[in-house]
Amino acid sequence: MKRIRRTMVVLLAFWKLNWLEELQYRGNFVASLLSTVFWLAMAMLTVALYFGHTTQLGGWGYWDVVVLLGVFNALTGVVETVLRPGIGHLPTDVRSGALDLVLVRPVDAQFYVSFRRLDVWRLADVVLGLGLSAYALAQTGRSVGVWQIVSFIVTFAVAIAVVYSIWVTLMSFAFWFVAVENMATLFDAVIDAARYPVSAYPGALRFVFVYLIPIAWTTTIPASALTGRLDPSLAMWAVVVGVAALGASRLLWRVALKRYTSAGG
Amino acid sequence: MPNAIVATNLTKTYDVKVRDPGIKGALAALVRPRYRQVRAVDSVSFAIERGDAVAFLGPNGAGKTTTLKMLTGLLFPSAGRAEVAEHDPWTGGNPFRRRIAFVLGNKQQLLWDLPAEESFRLNRAIYGVSLADYTTRRAELVELLVLGELIDKPVRQLSLGERMKCELAAALLHQPEVLFLDEPTLGLDLDAQQTIRTFLGEYRRRHGATILLTSHYMADVTALASRVLIINRGRLLHDGELSELVTRIAPIKRIELVLSEPVPRARLEEYGTVAHYAPPRATLEVPRETATAASTRLLTDLAVADLSIQDPPIEEVIRIAFGETEQDAGAEAEAPRADVRRAPP
Repeated sequence: MKRIRRTMVVLLAFWKLNWLEELQYRGNFVASLLSTVFWLAMAMLTVALYFGHTTQLGGWGYWDVVVLLGVFNALTGVVETVLRPGIGHLPTDVRSGALDLVLVRPVDAQFYVSFRRLDVWRLADVVLGLGLSAYALAQTGRSVGVWQIVSFIVTFAVAIAVVYSIWVTLMSFAFWFVAVENMATLFDAVIDAARYPVSAYPGALRFVFVYLIPIAWTTTIPASALTGRLDPSLAMWAVVVGVAALGASRLLWRVALKRYTSAGG
Repeated sequence: MPNAIVATNLTKTYDVKVRDPGIKGALAALVRPRYRQVRAVDSVSFAIERGDAVAFLGPNGAGKTTTLKMLTGLLFPSAGRAEVAEHDPWTGGNPFRRRIAFVLGNKQQLLWDLPAEESFRLNRAIYGVSLADYTTRRAELVELLVLGELIDKPVRQLSLGERMKCELAAALLHQPEVLFLDEPTLGLDLDAQQTIRTFLGEYRRRHGATILLTSHYMADVTALASRVLIINRGRLLHDGELSELVTRIAPIKRIELVLSEPVPRARLEEYGTVAHYAPPRATLEVPRETATAASTRLLTDLAVADLSIQDPPIEEVIRIAFGETEQDAGAEAEAPRADVRRAPP
């Protein structure tokens, strides 16, 4: 209990500092907002082009796919707000030796590295994304019940856990190979596949996205929850996947850190 | 006094990739990397009492920083043991980390865009310092380091010296018992160097902190530490008083003369080695034991206006120390190089 309280105190201290830092660069906000609006418009146009030829994409209607697009954008917002500036910075820290200054402090290094920085303006992406989902949901004419909301919150949390785990996994390679900035680019390429429902992909790819690179769990499942097509048992499985992903990435982190301290940077 | 730092046969071996020059070599290293074992720290043992200040000297790559990294728990040793502030650095975890501080002259923990004060507050949260303690310690550090308004300015606007002073303050807010300082005055102007030296001495007196520092500047060492550890090629060459080092490694005294009448160089050679000859001044080097006798003879035989007996400058002693060992150590260091092994798949 005391430990959780201490962790929260440190977390709040980080975020307060980030807020102070970011206030100096307000211009960023406008630029990132515009780029998100532009990106969303382009993405919707792409979807509209598809639907000019068909009425279904993997069993999803136009507005259902837009709901998913909103979820995708909200998740991207989380990545840009927390992950890229935090754990995404790990390779640089390893190379410059700045990680040493983290490791001598009485704080969990993974926690420190992951949450020390927030790009707060990119939270706008989360808001815009969720707003788009809500709008698209209204367009489908479906009623939204408590179950949909609750299962969405749970599965979206799982989505964040999965994406975070993927980042930790990719960035941990920095302890072996040092220069791994391209891993972030690899992530961008892979996560792009999550812009469409996983059912739209051929069987082999679907298998990969569900079991190997679990991005099916990042957008398809939360969007399914919102559009009322999520089976309760699948929601349970999502929680299992989220916890397993976090556990596995934590394990890898510890092995990587052990290597770092035994090999020396 | 109990010991704050004990190192027993501390050893660190690195695998270093061996690569032939050129593109062909680079490709070969990529496909089938070969490794060479390098002993960065070789069976180093020493103990430092609580409240002592000890300087760690040696040329670049001698193993100083590696040793500090092992003692702070950043690196696992390949062999040997250590105990710092009553903890094993590698298993001590957060309770251990709360009792030490590690300041690296070439790395900064302060947030670049914000005033140092904000970094202080972050450290208060990280180290769990109570508000009352924080307020007193902060006031004390601001006073001793003469920080004044510096802590309200964004760090990016501070000079290197000012930044280092703030770094030190940030590292000491949790009042660590053991301080590891790696080149704390590196690249600073003389004024800032002096402030930091005075500060560290005063801080140690007030709080009984133990200090282990590495430095390139002899003035850091003479001002702060009575004891020096000298390391070269991973081996501990000397552990003792600074003055002992002088006696052991360079058992000579320097006699500095100001002559009132011209004396030819050859005439001076009768009394000792002429290290420096620029009439009317001259410097003679004589064996330690005969320094007094030589001085007496000089004073009776020649027209001497002024005479003083001095220890050789520390820089020179260190140079002699390393110069001598370079040859002996050289032969030994070559041996393990044959030990090239293939990396495990």
